[in-house]
Amino acid sequence: MRKIVAFYVKWARRLLAYTLLVLVLIALYLSPLLIDFLEIIAKLQFGQIIGALFSIGPLYAVFLFILYGLLTMVFGRFFCSFMCPLGALMDLVGILRQKARRKKFAYKPRRFTQVLVPILVLLLFWVGISLPFGLLEPYSILSSKILSYLGGPSLVFFIVLVLSYFWGRGFCNSLCPTGFVLSLFAKGSIYRLAIGDTCIKCGACERVCPASCINFKEKLVDYGRCVLCLECKSLCPNSSLQYRRVLEPSEEGKLVRRSFIRKASIGALVGGALVTPEALRGGFLARPRPNPILPPGALSIAHLNAHCSSCHSCVRICPNHALKVSYLSSPLFLGKPVVDPYLGFCQYDCVECTRICPTGALINLDVEQKHIFRLGVVHFKREECIVITQGTSCGACAEICPTGAVTMGPGPLGRDEPIISWHHCIGCGACQAVCPVRPVSPIWVRGLAYQDMAAAKPIVAETPDQVLTEEFPF
Amino acid sequence: MTLKRGPVKRRSFLKSVATGACALGLNFSLGGLVAAHAQEAQFPDLVAVRGTELTRMFDKALEALGGLGRYVKSGQTLVIKPNMAWAQPPSVGANTNPVLVSHIVKNALNLGAKKVYVFDNTCDNWVGAYRDSGLEEASKDAGATVAPGNTSGYYQEVQVPGATILKTIELHEVYLEADVIINVPVLKHHGGAKMTAAIKNLMGAIWSRGPLHRNGVDETLPDLLLYKKPTLNVVEAVRVMTSGGPRGRGTSQYLAANMLIASEDAVAADSACAAIMNTAGISTPSYIELAAQRGIGVSNLDTLNIQRLTI
Repeated sequence: MRKIVAFYVKWARRLLAYTLLVLVLIALYLSPLLIDFLEIIAKLQFGQIIGALFSIGPLYAVFLFILYGLLTMVFGRFFCSFMCPLGALMDLVGILRQKARRKKFAYKPRRFTQVLVPILVLLLFWVGISLPFGLLEPYSILSSKILSYLGGPSLVFFIVLVLSYFWGRGFCNSLCPTGFVLSLFAKGSIYRLAIGDTCIKCGACERVCPASCINFKEKLVDYGRCVLCLECKSLCPNSSLQYRRVLEPSEEGKLVRRSFIRKASIGALVGGALVTPEALRGGFLARPRPNPILPPGALSIAHLNAHCSSCHSCVRICPNHALKVSYLSSPLFLGKPVVDPYLGFCQYDCVECTRICPTGALINLDVEQKHIFRLGVVHFKREECIVITQGTSCGACAEICPTGAVTMGPGPLGRDEPIISWHHCIGCGACQAVCPVRPVSPIWVRGLAYQDMAAAKPIVAETPDQVLTEEFPF
Repeated sequence: MTLKRGPVKRRSFLKSVATGACALGLNFSLGGLVAAHAQEAQFPDLVAVRGTELTRMFDKALEALGGLGRYVKSGQTLVIKPNMAWAQPPSVGANTNPVLVSHIVKNALNLGAKKVYVFDNTCDNWVGAYRDSGLEEASKDAGATVAPGNTSGYYQEVQVPGATILKTIELHEVYLEADVIINVPVLKHHGGAKMTAAIKNLMGAIWSRGPLHRNGVDETLPDLLLYKKPTLNVVEAVRVMTSGGPRGRGTSQYLAANMLIASEDAVAADSACAAIMNTAGISTPSYIELAAQRGIGVSNLDTLNIQRLTI
């Protein structure tokens, strides 16, 4: 009876996780219509929440972090098996491995090196170097466009996928920063998988465990590393492997007290991250040159570096395809989103990227704020403008400029030419995008290292509409 | 020939001579195209209606032109090309008023048009422009098919006969497919081209606008009329933006022209629009005269039969 239940529980878990995975993959790579669904999923991802905590981040992230933390302290790493789409994909690969009857998994004791990478990644993120985090955070791996080809998943994604065939959930316990933080919470969780006295030491559970955390000889399960995939439970021939409360209530209290120190230190780290001024957390190391145009709400290179998890949700949602992944501006700025006006311009009334950003790397802007939010400043090389070089009428830049920073006015040559008014420019790049001169537009936007507000739109007294002096002027 | 055969014959003779001379004169000055118009001399070349209610103004103008049925026959495919280039609400006057477009769609469908398309190659992002202009919703509600125009795949390259600069253009597939094209621009100020109405609106029917800007907007715009001219141009000039165009800004000023201009000749329609803009201190853009010089249309309004109506 227990075996049948375990079997159904296993399949229910698989179905839930795979459904999530399929939906996320469809939303990411097949149907842009599901982008709103992605927004919710991304914001529920624990890794993205950690990213958000490294800022004076969105308040919901603090709430979710505490909620996930408490739930993990009670139930273990349910997140890794139910909420992480990359984890679900690794489990699928694991099934392939089972079908292929390759060498089975075996218990490996936890080694010091297994925590080294995640700790390093989190520390680097904390000091403003977010590239390693972006490369290893599971949701970012799934959705990132770093080194992606033809709009497909990134190279890291394929590497991790191939690795998981040989390594099971090894990634989750050796490299994944999200898994590392969750493992700290899960150690000493109240509900856990435990091997009972009836165990006959057949070893079926150990051989199937993709996390390599079951030691059947010692009848021990490393709860910190167990990702609750529940693959082992239904295989136990006499159901001695159970998910249950293992300790006496008094022992539970002791355990909670003991693990409290550990958890308090996590809290202190996160709290420290919250109060450390951003200026100290720098990003100076990762300063790209020349200044790229940062997406709206990125505030500064330091701010973007300190919070961006390279999930590229913003790149995905930008309706004008104006955002791209930065590669060459600086090695440590790799994978950050930047505006490239040659691809498209930042739409005046659009705040989609600031809305979807799961880590708060792009602060929320409303449309009114966006109208004067300055990403860069227009520059104009008059002598290369075709109005000057060819003496023809163009005006494409003035036509598209939403703020009136570029207008057409009489110049010394006796014909209308672009006139620049810097204090109204918000650096949207529309002028550069539509300028017919290529490959290098004579009108271009230079990004601001620190985004600010442009001069507000001039307020004019509401003038009544003019009327026609004669009934028909022709 | 003798005049002694009676007054009736004399009158008819004089009439026929006059008609012939007229047709001959027009032939000399304007080329064969306008000669066809001369055969339907009972209809005006251009109708201007003053009023504030767009639907009534349109009905009045079309009544003077012999009814929409003269242009749209049962079973035909129709394209309505409004200006919906900007993600701006109708109140800004950057796009054609959805009331007018929806009215034309309904009338065309009542006349038995097989399909009515509405599209534009927008300047702002197309989703926002289609939505905020109110034109997507209004056209769909009226029964039209709103066609996207946001990628080059919707456009086909065609050779333009007689073009001076734009030898090839990429026209939207529904524009190419349509039996009838009704160009429904809004008249407004334009930072680059001084003024935009009927001719300039056709820049939204083609894909790459770079060549026009590169080679001079004034010099290239007339070429757009050569491959496939709009069957009818209906210019909305009710609340005309006179500064901050074409997108419109918070500081834009307006002229309450309260007019609707309808003509088969886009150049004539633009010429009338320029006269309106002149009263607001905006000079006439040179593309109108350049088009007239090449015989693509008539810019001298004195030579045209204009009907001026007031509601």
